[in-house]
Amino acid sequence: MKKFSLKEILVPTISLFVICAVATALLGFTNSVTEGKIKEVAAKSASEARLRVCKDAVDFEEKTDKDGNIYFEAKDSGGNTVGFAVTTEDKSYGGTIRVMTGFSASGEITGIEILTIDDTPGLGMNAKKDEFRNEFTGKKGELTASKNASADNEIQALTGATITSNAVTRCVNKATNIVENAVGGESNG
Amino acid sequence: MKIALSLLLTAILTNNFILSKFLGICPFLGVSKKVNTAAGMSGAVIFVMVLATAVTYPINLLLKANGMEYLQTIVFILVIAALVQLVEIVLKKYMVSLYNALGIYLPLITTNCAVLGVVLLNIDNGYNFWQSMVYSLGGGIGFLVAMVMFAGVRERLEGCDIPKSLQGLPITLVSASLVSMSFLGFAGLVDNMFA
Amino acid sequence: MAEKKTLGKEFTKGLISENPVFRLVLGTCPTLAVSTSVASAIGMGVAATAVLLCSNIVISALRKVIPQKVRIPAYIVIIASFVTIIQLLVKAFVPALDSALGVYLPLIVVNCIILGRAEAFASKNAVLASALDGLGMGIGFTAALFLMSTVREILGSGTFLSGIKDLLAVFSSDITFNGFKIPFLSENPLTIFVLAPGGFFVFGILIALSNKLAERNGKPKAEINGCDTCPMAKNCALIADGKTCEEVDVG
Repeated sequence: MKKFSLKEILVPTISLFVICAVATALLGFTNSVTEGKIKEVAAKSASEARLRVCKDAVDFEEKTDKDGNIYFEAKDSGGNTVGFAVTTEDKSYGGTIRVMTGFSASGEITGIEILTIDDTPGLGMNAKKDEFRNEFTGKKGELTASKNASADNEIQALTGATITSNAVTRCVNKATNIVENAVGGESNG
Repeated sequence: MKIALSLLLTAILTNNFILSKFLGICPFLGVSKKVNTAAGMSGAVIFVMVLATAVTYPINLLLKANGMEYLQTIVFILVIAALVQLVEIVLKKYMVSLYNALGIYLPLITTNCAVLGVVLLNIDNGYNFWQSMVYSLGGGIGFLVAMVMFAGVRERLEGCDIPKSLQGLPITLVSASLVSMSFLGFAGLVDNMFA
Repeated sequence: MAEKKTLGKEFTKGLISENPVFRLVLGTCPTLAVSTSVASAIGMGVAATAVLLCSNIVISALRKVIPQKVRIPAYIVIIASFVTIIQLLVKAFVPALDSALGVYLPLIVVNCIILGRAEAFASKNAVLASALDGLGMGIGFTAALFLMSTVREILGSGTFLSGIKDLLAVFSSDITFNGFKIPFLSENPLTIFVLAPGGFFVFGILIALSNKLAERNGKPKAEINGCDTCPMAKNCALIADGKTCEEVDVG
């Protein structure tokens, strides 16, 4: 076996190390510049989504229930509670799906927003369309997705995307549970 | 168990890395002329995908603990490149027969997007260690299934009378389209099994 | 003058005669994956062009400093850094693009066009030529993506440039233009075109068309043979002890 001279090993190692160090420093700098902005964008899009699902609200108050679930109480300009907004997630086709559901004070769904979804374009991705999301508006209680929905608690599933429809429905049901517990918990003192 | 099975089946059939996620198209088009070549390449991919997931999972925890998630891409691609080299050296020295079967494909895998893709998808989807391993294995097997099936289709294409403009790559892509369409049918299967 | 002419050529060759997607068949994964909508295709094209331009400039500037032995890892580090920088910028300023491209944004690292140009061009040429080469190739890539996605979005969703508002929000949040709806097709979209099979099909047909045009001009057809389009091919020959690509493909 050929013996490597010290130089043959040291020069490539050092130059690669220097490149890595410079690259990491550069990334650290970019990160420090963009970090705040990324957080701000995320917070802004979350608050915009909350306003879209609870149309009557002007302000939100973050709360945590006894199980550690985070939910938002929607307040009108007078400070009265007019509804709730809850973000829940579940497993769907292409990975985790995150849904924000808005409720009126009486527990009726006022709107849903798909926050994160990575499903098939043209099929599962149609969950983001208004026609599907509006299916939920005005509904109450435990819901199920069905291929030919007729009953009140049934959601018309998306063509060719039953898994996505089910995942969204499960998210909404989870949100309903959180809100019911929260409202129940409060009235019990 | 049910979660593991559904992860495995969706990764192999409905969310096939090549046919529906378009990860690893280069080897899919380039190394699929013969069935045994396709199988050898896929074997190496399965091996590297699972190994890369096992190695990057703890590294990601470390990055996360220090708030350095932004270094994920650069760290993972380097780890994968180093891992591939290391595996190749070890195989060459200690497992010559395995090296002859899989080793020659290893260098091609560093820039295979399926490997970096599976590592990043595991993190995006928030899978725990075992779920990640199952998902990587499923992704790798899905890669194998697509490669071997497609190599079979391509062998049949040889000697067919094809319009001149479509000869070569175009007809290969159109065949890929048909194979991918047949995989769409599995969506109903998984839908009904786990819905 | 002669110098100027060749520099111009470095830029224009990527657009048509050496178009990375249709002629060199590189970067097929993102081409197929993000061409479901024109807006995300343009976003991907611009992001990849930025990475390609920066990495070509830096690699060309460092070409005499980087030792031959570790050049591939060095290129990968440089490319990955630029990809991460672009990723962070996109997350901060165009969050809609980040969610549209998903995992394909960090996967620009393994886009063969970028490592391929680093190895084939930037490592051998001066900075200005490399920059023009990168810019030309990037624009060629974007143009190819635009063409693919136009066909797929119009047929598959019945829209054109839908979602562009979220991209244009970088320049001004007042823009309300959000693409066109194609009459008839928007009510009856041929969904298969935005699904995976449609991607393969449209790509195949477009390559056939470009082959036809190339043939008329006396150019060879676009072909993918074994691993000769893969930028790692040369190195695997080095690494794997003189085993050539042909041998690998013989299997």
